[in-house]
Amino acid sequence: MTISLRSPSTQILALAALAVLAALVSNGLASPARRLSWRRSVSPLLGPPPPMTWPQAPTAPAAAPASAPSVAAVETQPQRPTPPPRAAAPRTAPPEAPQPQETQASTPIREITGAEAWKAFQSGAPFLDARRSAEFAEGHIAKAWCTPVWESDLEDRLISFKAARHPGAEDPIVIYCSGGDCRDSHLLAAKLLNEGYFHLLIYHDGYPGWVSQGHPIEKGQP
Amino acid sequence: MSPATSRHLLHPRLTLVVRIALGLVFVGAALPKIADPPAFAKSIWAYELFPAWSLNPLALALPWLELFCGLALCLGFWLRAASTWVATLLLAFGLALSINLVRHHPVDCGCFGATAPKTQAERLTDMRWSILRDAGLLLLAIQLLWATTPRRHGGNSAPADGQQV
Repeated sequence: MTISLRSPSTQILALAALAVLAALVSNGLASPARRLSWRRSVSPLLGPPPPMTWPQAPTAPAAAPASAPSVAAVETQPQRPTPPPRAAAPRTAPPEAPQPQETQASTPIREITGAEAWKAFQSGAPFLDARRSAEFAEGHIAKAWCTPVWESDLEDRLISFKAARHPGAEDPIVIYCSGGDCRDSHLLAAKLLNEGYFHLLIYHDGYPGWVSQGHPIEKGQP
Repeated sequence: MSPATSRHLLHPRLTLVVRIALGLVFVGAALPKIADPPAFAKSIWAYELFPAWSLNPLALALPWLELFCGLALCLGFWLRAASTWVATLLLAFGLALSINLVRHHPVDCGCFGATAPKTQAERLTDMRWSILRDAGLLLLAIQLLWATTPRRHGGNSAPADGQQV
């Protein structure tokens, strides 16, 4: 049997092979912000994208994560994960600072308003920016952490964040992206829930909402 | 179809224009996606049609396939193979958009890279236009496939790869 590149069917296969080869090379040479893992992406955390709207108020006290909409979509986590040990290092927020939520043992992921986000900011809660790192560099909420959910170095960035802030399982973490129909913050929240964090607050209005409120922002590389 | 109509539709100049136009569209669509694979992966994810394990491989390889097919059409080599891929891709893109349109699920087409945030109504309108555009491009691809089909004229076989165009 001979294989001839003059045959259209061979050429069809050759085009596909060339594409895969070029993708391998270009992905190997790409910067972390432009690189993708061939075997893993953030999205395998979820089946379908999470719903665009989330309950604004807690409804089910101490609800198991499996009952939350986000967790229903998490395929690989049937049970509540073991919470990470509480941080030994001193917290950034003062102990007497008011918590942004009165009911921490409520829905593990919920959306918050601009006023709640501002309150959380004032209390020293960490803010995670789920947008792309280029967007983060153009402007972000002051002291926010750059955790671009679609970029290949997300894990490293989350490790840095955890090492620096030592967030406990029930400590509030505010996550935001671009507002509107942006779902990156929901993806990141589902990932953190999977890792054992149960007080995840999604600032739905995101960075545009924060800017429109005139709250402090910063610019520059993460 | 009358022989005169066929002759007009298969005219070498028309075929030349069609393959260069289609090739340029595919090259133009591929470059932004090659430049930013994570954005394209996000676009594919939003369609809610593909298993999670396939998102990144698709986002990495598909733009290069588009690029090579576009270059083949522009430069005039492997025309039948490139036309076959282009027609297949256009069918797949149109189908993916149609399924989401039918279930009223607005998605960013992602055809030429990521776009600015839009309202749901704007996205649905864009999807309709994208489906129409895909249908038009598919007609061009069909013309190319037809033009590169091997034929016998008085016992002579035309080249299967369409080098005559």
